[in-house]
Amino acid sequence: MIEDRLTKEILNTLLRNGADFSEIFVQRRVSNNLRLEDSKIENSSSGYELGCGLRLWVGDSTFYAYVDSLEKDKLLNAAKVLSSSVNGSSSLKVLNLTETKSSYNTSVKKFPDKIHPGSKKNILETVDKSSRDFNSTIIQVASSLSDTQEEIYIANSYGAFSFEKMVKTFLAVNVVARKGNNIRTGYKSLARTSGYETFDFKNPKSLALEASKIAVNMLDAVNAPAGELPVVIGPAFGGVIFHEACGHGLEADAILKGASVFKDKIGKKIAAGTVTAIDDSTLDYHWGSYKFDGEGYPSSKTVLIKDGILRSYIYDLRTSKKLGAKQTGNGRRQSFRYIPVPRMSNTYIESGDEDSGSIIRSVNKGIYARGFAGGQVDPATGDFVFGISEGYLIENGKISFPIKDATLIGNGPDILKKIEAVASNLDFAPGFCGKSGQLVSNEVGQPTIKVSKITVGGTEN
Amino acid sequence: MRDDKGYKIRDSRLINICKNTASRINKHAVDEFEIFAASSVENEIEIFKGKVETLSFSDSIGIGIRIFKDKSIGYAYTTVLDESSIEDCICKAVSNCRITGREDYNYLPREEESAFKQKLIGDKYLFREDFLNYGIESKVALVKRLETLTKGKDARIVDINNVMYDDSIYETAILNSAGFCDKYKTTTCSIYVSAISKQGEDTSTGDFFGCGRTPGDLDLEEVAEKAASRSVSILGGKKIKSQRVDLLLDPIVSAQFLGVIAGTLTADSVQKRKSLFEGKIGQKIFSIDADIYDDGTIPDGLSSKPFDGEGVIKGKTCVFKDGYLKTYLYDTYTARKDRALSTGNAVRASYRSTPEVGISNFYLEPSDINFSQLLGDIDRGFYVMDIIGLHSGANPISGQVSVGAKGIWVKNGNLSYPVKEVTIATDILSFCKSIKKIGNDLRFIPSGGYIGSPSLLVRDIMVGGS
Repeated sequence: MIEDRLTKEILNTLLRNGADFSEIFVQRRVSNNLRLEDSKIENSSSGYELGCGLRLWVGDSTFYAYVDSLEKDKLLNAAKVLSSSVNGSSSLKVLNLTETKSSYNTSVKKFPDKIHPGSKKNILETVDKSSRDFNSTIIQVASSLSDTQEEIYIANSYGAFSFEKMVKTFLAVNVVARKGNNIRTGYKSLARTSGYETFDFKNPKSLALEASKIAVNMLDAVNAPAGELPVVIGPAFGGVIFHEACGHGLEADAILKGASVFKDKIGKKIAAGTVTAIDDSTLDYHWGSYKFDGEGYPSSKTVLIKDGILRSYIYDLRTSKKLGAKQTGNGRRQSFRYIPVPRMSNTYIESGDEDSGSIIRSVNKGIYARGFAGGQVDPATGDFVFGISEGYLIENGKISFPIKDATLIGNGPDILKKIEAVASNLDFAPGFCGKSGQLVSNEVGQPTIKVSKITVGGTEN
Repeated sequence: MRDDKGYKIRDSRLINICKNTASRINKHAVDEFEIFAASSVENEIEIFKGKVETLSFSDSIGIGIRIFKDKSIGYAYTTVLDESSIEDCICKAVSNCRITGREDYNYLPREEESAFKQKLIGDKYLFREDFLNYGIESKVALVKRLETLTKGKDARIVDINNVMYDDSIYETAILNSAGFCDKYKTTTCSIYVSAISKQGEDTSTGDFFGCGRTPGDLDLEEVAEKAASRSVSILGGKKIKSQRVDLLLDPIVSAQFLGVIAGTLTADSVQKRKSLFEGKIGQKIFSIDADIYDDGTIPDGLSSKPFDGEGVIKGKTCVFKDGYLKTYLYDTYTARKDRALSTGNAVRASYRSTPEVGISNFYLEPSDINFSQLLGDIDRGFYVMDIIGLHSGANPISGQVSVGAKGIWVKNGNLSYPVKEVTIATDILSFCKSIKKIGNDLRFIPSGGYIGSPSLLVRDIMVGGS
């Protein structure tokens, strides 16, 4: 995207006042967004962004600046200004650049810019019609379709560079159903690191029906109970419990700052023996996958917890250097406007060997949590919440009534030990995760699991 | 070292970009158009253990183009402002018109459609010249001082896990083919600290923030004090039994609840049948005489501006009076549908997005009851200092709210022992009815818009615990 010679000139300009490391991150991003509501396309928007982020380190300090341009003069000027901020003692110089290789190699068949706008419109109209036809209680359908085509070039003062072209597609459906004064919603999304073949993987109609079923089912929801109960957490999006209860606490920036309950726990038992958890950015076409992370390091599969024993944290370059650990390819950033930080990619609890049906049958009185609206954690204390958007009562081993939305609250290290059973039906769900003011694409995943006791935030005593 | 001392005002440059883009659009066959140009220069500083952890500078500019053609709207934006990229952007916006829905109401705002006739606020309040006197060194010193101050507040504070400062100089201009062409600029800054405290085996965190138009507005002493006390006062917190009790909500907490309510009061959500307040104009929603305003013209309101995201003049709208719902919030499109006037509530997050109906400075009018009077009114209850999980725990469409909470148990009007790992659950309409008293300690939080609430005494809410 920029010439080798200019890259070296910028990297060396950044180093000139004794910096210990320099990096250039170049990104070109073309995006399209289509939104339908009230049965009509409300918004059709396209964006073009091109820019470059410059980073350098001196000691423990990071300095960062970005420019909305690839013009040589602007880049060199920004590099000069940034390097003049520092006063270091290193005397590094970049002479050669070598390309980094990645084992993640997927191919895109249907590029967004080759898809007729009318076909994109059809996808949303299909979603709208399928949902509205499903049930007469459905009063509103909002859906959005977005695609991005990106090129990312990263080079650093270690003499490494990487280049990646990335295509992503995302479809989300939010259905509103109403009966009397009860208004309920159903949400589903489909997102892949691929072109429009995403909709061959799963068709928009079935996504619409799944969301519609949730909204309609929830119309009859009873009040959720309040208090501690056994909770069976369904596959796919249920993985948000691991993401919040543990994942964020394993991100090495929290470890480095002493702001994680999982600090000094490597090699120690932190979860029930049934739990094996993995972060894998190499799963073909998954929403959280990539060829290179936001620092040009190849994606990889990292075992975080093996049979309940903590094996690894989630690292970016800076934290792996500081903690003397192996880089895991998890330095991610939202765009050239942001500094990379350690982030999860596709993070999941590995399949166990129990049957999901018998897990439900094992509960006398409890909750089956199937759909989630997301969650939040304070990594320093491990206290986390996640919101159930589709939940049911379990009575005498059977799923009975749907319940109103309720938040589950717990403490990460405590809950991990209470995972009593892990089924074999591993599945994944895409989403966005926010941290340090940056949103990145993530997948969570798990098979059905059972937590022996967790506080349910309902309204019924 | 780069800092803002040498900042040169860009408004004439933004206007020029708009004008040049307009003359290009005029060569295309379109009915109407609007160009939104925005520039921002930002600094962000993070300190860890007395040293700069990160220092980042950004300087960006971009334009968004809305094209109106055959009653359809198309949008495109670009951060690259050379002639060919702008031309591409125009072409994309024009072609995007071909797939969006037609609607008779799709045309630019006209002057007579605004509820407010006179600009009430401008650069004089929004852009503070003295902001430019603060060099990066003095901002770094400010953050370091906050770290030291917070750590010094209590011996149980073991670490400051996050202390940061950010600021921005934001300038924007809008030009449309109906004759509107105007600009404004703002300066803002904010500071944040989070403190970890320990007592025995128990760990607690507490955070606080401050924001203003210039670093001189930031009260470091107060931010440090609040963050420290929010951290240590929860130490040793325990779970309580599930029960229905009275809640005393800290302003930081009540403002977050108010934010959920605010989102359901836009005419857009009402017209799309996604609002609990649909058909409720004129009804008494609160059991007490609560007054709620959206006011885009408060001098120190961080969401104040002279005109909204489509160039309509901002003003003060009374949304609730004495507990009765008076109006929804409108942009011109939704106002046309309801045969109303725009309240100047078209909001634009950036040049990357089209205008949408949203709040500006949205607040609940305080009373004259102080905090200890509110506390004294509770026999058995829970003083809620912080909530977690609102974005996943509140469904503004169904109205259900269930979030994690921590705070202090209240017995006979006195603060008793710390409580954590519990939930509070309600729904928006019952919550409004359950508010029994409003405090005098109005405080704003930046969240979507700039939302303000005093402490609230809320009766009989379910707390989930053991």
